Amino acid sequence: MPMNVVVLVKPVVDPKAAVRFRPDGTIDRSAAKLVVNPYDKHAVEAAVQLKERFGGRVVSVSMAPPHAADAIREVLAMGVDEAVLLSDPRLAGSDTLATSYALSAVIRRLEQRLGGVDLVLCGIETSDSNTGHIGPEVGEWLGIPSVSYVDRILEVGDGRVSVKRLIEGGYAVVRVKLPAVLSIAGTSYQPRIPSLRDVLAARRKQVAVWSADDAGIDPSLVGIAGSPTRVVRMWRVEIKRKGVVISEADPDRAVDRLLEELRKDGVPLGV
Amino acid sequence: MPVDFEFAKEQEDVRSTVREFAEKYIAPRVVEFEEKQLIPPEIVREMSRLGLFGILFPEQYGGLGLDPVTAGIVLEEIVRADLTFSLAVAYLVHTSWGYVAYKYGNEEFREDVIRRAATGDVWIGIATTEPGAGSDLTGIATAARRDGDGYVIAGEKAYISGVREAKERGVWFPDGGGHVTLAYTDKSKQHRGMTLFFVPLTDPNVSIRLEKEFGRKGWSFGSFVLSDVRVPERYRIGEEGRGFYIAMEGFDHARAYIALACAVGGKRAIELALEYAKQRRAFGQPVASFQGVQFQLADNWAALEAAHALAYKALWALKMEQEGRIGRFEVTRITASAKLFAVQAAKRAIDDALRWYGAYGYTEENPVALALKAVKSYDWAEGSLDIMRLIVAREVVGREYTSKRK
Repeated sequence: MPMNVVVLVKPVVDPKAAVRFRPDGTIDRSAAKLVVNPYDKHAVEAAVQLKERFGGRVVSVSMAPPHAADAIREVLAMGVDEAVLLSDPRLAGSDTLATSYALSAVIRRLEQRLGGVDLVLCGIETSDSNTGHIGPEVGEWLGIPSVSYVDRILEVGDGRVSVKRLIEGGYAVVRVKLPAVLSIAGTSYQPRIPSLRDVLAARRKQVAVWSADDAGIDPSLVGIAGSPTRVVRMWRVEIKRKGVVISEADPDRAVDRLLEELRKDGVPLGV
Repeated sequence: MPVDFEFAKEQEDVRSTVREFAEKYIAPRVVEFEEKQLIPPEIVREMSRLGLFGILFPEQYGGLGLDPVTAGIVLEEIVRADLTFSLAVAYLVHTSWGYVAYKYGNEEFREDVIRRAATGDVWIGIATTEPGAGSDLTGIATAARRDGDGYVIAGEKAYISGVREAKERGVWFPDGGGHVTLAYTDKSKQHRGMTLFFVPLTDPNVSIRLEKEFGRKGWSFGSFVLSDVRVPERYRIGEEGRGFYIAMEGFDHARAYIALACAVGGKRAIELALEYAKQRRAFGQPVASFQGVQFQLADNWAALEAAHALAYKALWALKMEQEGRIGRFEVTRITASAKLFAVQAAKRAIDDALRWYGAYGYTEENPVALALKAVKSYDWAEGSLDIMRLIVAREVVGREYTSKRK
């Protein structure tokens, strides 16, 4: 049963490069090199494995400025068949609600073009904002089930998918109807390093750049206007490490001393 | 604007892919290369899967059809991760001598061997040196005689890289490997009587012996004896009597890559030593803040920067030669200059960088110490430094002023 899989891929500022901040505390993205959000690569790997097993197409969908096309080629090298880059000045400033709406609009268009989308995969979060919102929100906009923290896709068939989902202290096996949105955790699907042949071939694949109009997006629902979230302030958190040696022979007294030290530093202990 | 130090986007893609692989799979295991004196085979097989053994071979034979500059980019990333230079040897010997074997091998040879070399099914090495001949190759004793539709070769080759990896099938490479081997087909004609053959070391009439190498211990180093080894005619690389000249061309290739490996290895050693020197404090300040260290660093860095640029010029020269745009002698002069300069710059830089560590650096677990041992090999490997001096002087002063050797 060939499957059409959409995988959401966010170009982010290279987490390995030095991040520059503007005076107002926001990240200066203009000069920064963009790479694929590392968490999304696990979702791409899962999507490509599905294609290898069942056949079908994998389409990546991104929302970013036009120069992000370069970063997206990395997923084309990994085995994604085609990439859509939604890029429009009207989308600037979108929060996760507006972004998930815009991405959903692209997915709806792709549904029409591909004759259906069976699964939408994404990473569990992004390395630059770490909200984890997008997967579940896309599920809501599309009115389909979503499952987060998916460790592994177990079975696909009969219009359903069952997955192993990570929960605190263990895992749950969940079965949902297709189509569905799955946020893939970085546990089972280790992203492949593509061969140089695939890397070079990816340069010859096209990244289709779509405007908001191409996706049928209502401009009032995106950008600053469509985003209820306001960033009030950004600041650097300095994590200071210190070493304290507690040399109490009696364990109870050592614990008391430890608690005392932690309280002194304002660590919330919950007791 | 003909001079351009920028790489193409495709080349940056190649770099980032190889860097990801090298940081993930090579760097964490480098100390093990030296301790166990072998490269874990899975690393080599992964390199094959990525296509790293097929960089220069045309796509028609299963390679990637890329140019020497791009092959250099791959080498840079391998060296950055592995300062023992073990993988650098594995890669650069195959890349340069494989290319020469492809260039001069006939169609049957290309279909048989090059096709497998391009996919990493067979490794290609080089064997010119013998117990009685190194810089002066006319002293070789290995001889090949025609025998029906092939040749029979007898002799001994010494101080050869990759003998174990080529001898064993199915470990590092499915079909093992073979060496481009220099032999006399007509001793009376001296260097005009030499011919190159591809000799699979898997042949039962080839026996190998391993040396205990001083450094870069991951890739084997030793000798092999050819006891009447029979090779088909298609394994002859180029015409009879052209072996010496083709070998000289192969050395040009290898020297360009060695120059690059040394420049990058030297820079990487400085980076690593600097990480330590920034942390380590003495007399109330970080070691890196002393001018004695900084001036040393500046001199070495400047030399390595120059070596790096010259190494790329050498790789560019190989590309220009492929396109018929510059001549043989010019390539030889540039590649020999590059090796001569880069080896010395790297040795000094690594030696100095190792001093910043103090006693802490003097261990078999410090990549910078391992790098010092590795670059020492380039005093002689693929042409000694004095041979580089002879070549550069010959090409600059003029061949008519070459001192007469008996």
